[in-house]
Amino acid sequence: MSKKAIVSLLILSMIAVACATEEAVEEVAVEEEHDHSDESTLDEVIERGFLKCGISTGATGFSEQADDGSFGGFDVDFCYAVAAAVFGDYSKVEFKQLTSAERFTSLAAGEVDVLFRNTTWTQSRDTELGNDFGPTTYFDGQQLLGRKADGITESSTLADIDGLRVCTNAGTTTEKNITEGAGLAGATIELVTVEAFAEAVDKFIAGECDIITTDGSALVGRRAVNDALNDWVIFPTSPISKEPLGPTYRSNDSEWADVVNWTVYATIIADEYGVTSANVDSVDTDALPELGRLFGANDGELQTKMGLSADAFYNVIKQVGNYDQIYSRNLNPLGLFREGGANDRWTNGGLIYAPPAR
Amino acid sequence: MNLEFKKSIAWMRENLFSSIPSSILTVATSFFVLGFFRGLFGFAMASDKDWLSVLNNMQLYMVQAYPEEDFIRVWISVGLALVFAGMSIGLWKSTEESSLSEVFSKFLRVSLAFLFFTVVAPTFSSVTDNDGIIQTEESFPMETRLQLLIPSAILVVVFFVLKNLKLNYKFNKSDLLCFYLAIPIVLMWIIKLPTIQLDSSNQRIFPDPLMPIADTTKTPWTIIFGLFLAFYFIGSRFKDSKNIKRTMSISWVLLPLFIFSWIFKKPEIDLPTILGQDIPIFIGIFLIGALTITFINNPVVEKYFSIYLGVLIAITGIALFISVPILLKSALLLLVLFTIVIPAVSSSTKGKRNLIIVWGVSLFTLSVLIRGGSSDTQIIVQQQSIFGGFSLTWLLAIFGTYVSFPLGVLLALGRNSKLPIVRLVCTGIIELTRSVPYITWLFFASVTMAVFLPEGVNFELVVRVLMVTAFFSGAYFAENIRGGLQSIPKGQYEAADAIGMSPFQKTSLIVMPQALRAIIPTLVSSAITAFKDSSLVTIIGLIDFLTIGKVIIGTQSIPVNFVGHDRENLLFIAFFYWIFTFTLSRRSMKVEKRLGLGER
Repeated sequence: MSKKAIVSLLILSMIAVACATEEAVEEVAVEEEHDHSDESTLDEVIERGFLKCGISTGATGFSEQADDGSFGGFDVDFCYAVAAAVFGDYSKVEFKQLTSAERFTSLAAGEVDVLFRNTTWTQSRDTELGNDFGPTTYFDGQQLLGRKADGITESSTLADIDGLRVCTNAGTTTEKNITEGAGLAGATIELVTVEAFAEAVDKFIAGECDIITTDGSALVGRRAVNDALNDWVIFPTSPISKEPLGPTYRSNDSEWADVVNWTVYATIIADEYGVTSANVDSVDTDALPELGRLFGANDGELQTKMGLSADAFYNVIKQVGNYDQIYSRNLNPLGLFREGGANDRWTNGGLIYAPPAR
Repeated sequence: MNLEFKKSIAWMRENLFSSIPSSILTVATSFFVLGFFRGLFGFAMASDKDWLSVLNNMQLYMVQAYPEEDFIRVWISVGLALVFAGMSIGLWKSTEESSLSEVFSKFLRVSLAFLFFTVVAPTFSSVTDNDGIIQTEESFPMETRLQLLIPSAILVVVFFVLKNLKLNYKFNKSDLLCFYLAIPIVLMWIIKLPTIQLDSSNQRIFPDPLMPIADTTKTPWTIIFGLFLAFYFIGSRFKDSKNIKRTMSISWVLLPLFIFSWIFKKPEIDLPTILGQDIPIFIGIFLIGALTITFINNPVVEKYFSIYLGVLIAITGIALFISVPILLKSALLLLVLFTIVIPAVSSSTKGKRNLIIVWGVSLFTLSVLIRGGSSDTQIIVQQQSIFGGFSLTWLLAIFGTYVSFPLGVLLALGRNSKLPIVRLVCTGIIELTRSVPYITWLFFASVTMAVFLPEGVNFELVVRVLMVTAFFSGAYFAENIRGGLQSIPKGQYEAADAIGMSPFQKTSLIVMPQALRAIIPTLVSSAITAFKDSSLVTIIGLIDFLTIGKVIIGTQSIPVNFVGHDRENLLFIAFFYWIFTFTLSRRSMKVEKRLGLGER
């Protein structure tokens, strides 16, 4: 009798639990929908008190973690810049180190507010995956790296790698690009895929592959580190693919998109005027009205209408620096320079260009 | 001396060169082993390796971004563990002794090994240059070798002589262990290590100057070692007290929980919540349990006990899935577990009083741990979790084993249960968890689980991972334990029945002890697997010990450029994991020996 009683009670309790969970799940679903449609990410971020920024687990010069646990790099600095714009304090940011496999899931699930994770802006990512892309902060392109000893020169093309072993990391666009490109150039290659770029370099050094290929910035960095400026060649001069890297956020949230975009633009405009974190306090805002508007010297209504404080972009420049400072601090030590490249100012023939602050 | 030499020749002839095939095997194996060591040394000493990338990043390896101003908490955690270790070594002080000559023979073996490695280490190692041509370079020149060879040879001779003096002073083995532990502490004050120095323009100065180990490292270690010794002596004072021993065993179980929920975490304590929520829940649940214990022998209570238990289970089941404080959920769960065992253990008045004390203490401990565990942390780090690097690996390994082992026991018992529903549910859980890869479960924790949790319940990623890990290794533990259960002869059950034991007594006193004893090797290998598998969390964005070395350090360019130094870090990580797993397996072998396993 007693056992039967327990069993029936157990069944009853399970039914009750099942009902309770079902209800709870429904409520969660409703709640989530509510979250995403009505509230802008900007309000969420302000309410939370800090920014959640998705960065790479490790990309030399772009997102690094130093030996004391602090973060630095080109992408990281833009996270700091957004935090400085929203809170007036660059340190109010929580980094989430994401692998390339989970970056978009993480963004869609709301675990990060914005991705600065050297992510290439492509059509499918923009349209199918529910992301929107901000202004490109770094114009990269896929290139190849070979040895002079193997007869590779800077004028080599994809046709010259016929019969060579090419190493690249698996599952990225680089793999697709090189297969496509080599096929078009009529070169038969033996593709060796590895999990991480560092492994590809190790294989290249050990002689297990003749060519490695990935974004040009990474190749230049590795060549400088290995002290191989005279032995290793990066080719072709114009990259085999376009890799515009910039911020990514959830689509249909233009209020938040504006904040991220104009933070990037503010660093570019400041660079155009030569305003750095060192001289931002001595800027004559009467003589330079655009900077006056941008830094909120008068009433700063351009910023307050965005939901930011009037001096939001002043804080960005003061605390983080302008585009040139961010670039040279992180990428110059790796041998990546702006001069003459795509990342130069538009006035010097580069592509770094910002709409006017009016 | 001559006799010993002859003895060893005889031993070699008998064991290594007994026949032609055996001689060939001996030579071939030693050739392979030697080649392996030479390769490893050559790899480690080549000039393109920067071992400072390991040394300089020790802080990152251990605690990742844990803020420096709170490091005292890390030291307290480590210190507490070592103080407990000292106390336990004292309490369970070995009665064995070894003589001075045995100690010297140990030292002799170490210095012989050092001498051997110095002799066989290769002079040249190969480095691939930028043109892809393999160059040989002199990485271990003769002068260096001689500088090491002469002192180690002298040490070998000294220890050999000392050993053969046949000094017969006896030392307690536990005392000796403390002495051995003192050696690294003393070395810490003597040795100097190459240190990275930056000039004014943040360029690294070569060559790296030799500096003594930083005070911030050696002072805490020395203090901790002092406390370790002090508690060792306190422990050896009380080695006859059974109560202290029992308290110590339980404290060992609670220590990691306390460290992770209070010391390391630094929870934000909000007094109104404690007064208005925690204390009422504690008092209420405590009273229910205490009253049940007191009146269990009352005929009315006895009559309706099964219904009461069923209602309690139902309430707990519902409470688990609605939005109530997590303390209430876990306290109810504990209450159910307690209520199930009450009829079996409380019959006499004294037994009841003891049980009430046990009930109160365990409920209090649970409340304290839950309060710490569920509160927000005050530690500010610029990343998602305060756990990273080794602290995360350790957290996952310890909690994985802690939660999954009892869970495994319950599941195994449930699978053998006579009640069809319990059997069905347990079998279902085990088969479902085991048939899906661990990585899939991790993705489930990272992405899908939020949908399954009730409204308002939102666990941190680390906690979600701990939950799936507990179930995953719990299922494996359950199957291991079930294997152990099946090895118990039927006669044992029947004998327990014959002397009138209750099912609870039969399981806890007769079946389980024998079943667990039989499967210690499998359990240890499961624990080792859990420890190593914790590195898989890297795919869902948690940065564990392996990821630090594999990804993060290999991409550092600021402030010191370690780009591309991932291989030496991987070697270090392998060595580090090996130390832990090897220690674990050695310890378990000792336990097996003590329990006389394999002697049946």
